[in-house]
Amino acid sequence: MDSGPSDETLLAAVAERDMSAFRTLYERHAGWLAIRLTRRCNDRDLVADAIQDTFVAVWQRPRGFRGDGDIAAWLWGIAIRRLVSRLRTRRGVAAVFEHPGAAPAAEDQVLLSVEYGDIGQALARLSPEMRAVIQAVVLDGLSAKEAAQLLHVPVSSVKTRLHRAKAHLRAVLAEGSS
Amino acid sequence: MTGWHLDDDVLRRYVERTDSLTEGASAEQHLLSCEPCRARVNAAAGVIELSVIDLAAVWDRTRDAIEVARPSVFERLLRGAGLPAHEARLVAVASAFRGVWLTGAAAVLAFAALAAAMGHARGLWLFLAVAPVVPCLVVASSYDPWMDPALEPELVTPYPALRLILLRTIAVLALALPAVLLFGLVVPGETAFAWLLPAVGFVAVVLAASTWVSPLRAAIAVSCAWLALVSLLATRPGSPDAIIQGRAQTGFLVLAAASFGIFLLRRRQLRQLRPWR
Repeated sequence: MDSGPSDETLLAAVAERDMSAFRTLYERHAGWLAIRLTRRCNDRDLVADAIQDTFVAVWQRPRGFRGDGDIAAWLWGIAIRRLVSRLRTRRGVAAVFEHPGAAPAAEDQVLLSVEYGDIGQALARLSPEMRAVIQAVVLDGLSAKEAAQLLHVPVSSVKTRLHRAKAHLRAVLAEGSS
Repeated sequence: MTGWHLDDDVLRRYVERTDSLTEGASAEQHLLSCEPCRARVNAAAGVIELSVIDLAAVWDRTRDAIEVARPSVFERLLRGAGLPAHEARLVAVASAFRGVWLTGAAAVLAFAALAAAMGHARGLWLFLAVAPVVPCLVVASSYDPWMDPALEPELVTPYPALRLILLRTIAVLALALPAVLLFGLVVPGETAFAWLLPAVGFVAVVLAASTWVSPLRAAIAVSCAWLALVSLLATRPGSPDAIIQGRAQTGFLVLAAASFGIFLLRRRQLRQLRPWR
């Protein structure tokens, strides 16, 4: 595994305008950020732009990291918001609702339900639109407004879908426990 | 960091995007805090070549973006006005737009307007003499090769010199005319608009004359002629306003139109711009 200076050390060096530390930070994080962003947006050019924006932002404000939590989480927070703001200027780009071939095989379903319990199955039964909202708001921690921009739907729809999805999950879980 | 890591199947499904929402969410949560697993995702993405994104190219663009100096306020304004980035750079690089020049020109105008506003009889003449020639001096310095060393390489490139000069002129006028107008409002007894036509006319004359001589020489000649005319009129009785009133305005309009026509007709001569010495 890659051993070397920690991300914190690298970021401190970036604040001192160390280009090679910046390069290392990029190599360490650009890959998984790209993978995760392409799960949110199908347009690879947009994702590439968002990654560029993210690292430019890191270079300009390396002290934006307040030292709490993981640098990876901080980077992701920047990256998803850069993607949202790139999406805002572009129309007609589909955000990912459904992964290709997302229907898990039967044995995976069983494994999932063992690993995640009822919540996994409940989530799997949500419609793609509702899952996209859950993913954006609950898992990515975006605001309703940001999620609306990411998914190209009105803010009110995000709120409605989130509300319905929660109600749905609550119902399914209650059903399962009774 | 715990001893728990993504197993290879989960990792593969994550990178290939064949996982479910819950499994993906779980993987993502783990990845945020697990450096070894992130490295494995990076590696897997490279092997599977699912990541069509050319990260090396993105790195090059990122490095370029941070190494290029931030554009000046003026350049960003031009880009905000809809000018493409490379043209905004060409226009803004003119030495006339370096703050010193603009401040100097504004200070001269302000001084003249102040003198006029104080009600001093000579003050109004001073403003009358200075205000209309400031824009044409700034325009001339915006594309004179002697003032602007950056211009020479620009003129040997295929970029049309005419377009460059017009863009710069428009940019200068957009900055200078409101200033002339503003100071004109301070001057008593005269509508502010009266100063505009002479100013525009002189700019057009400088553009036309610069197809024969260097722009700066043209601007200096125009300024001298104007100063001579104003000082001649100043020795006579009557209001200084006369020179910018009524029929004189029509004259300036004709001067502007005719000069601009000549400039367009002779635009090919612009490539022969040479330092004035």
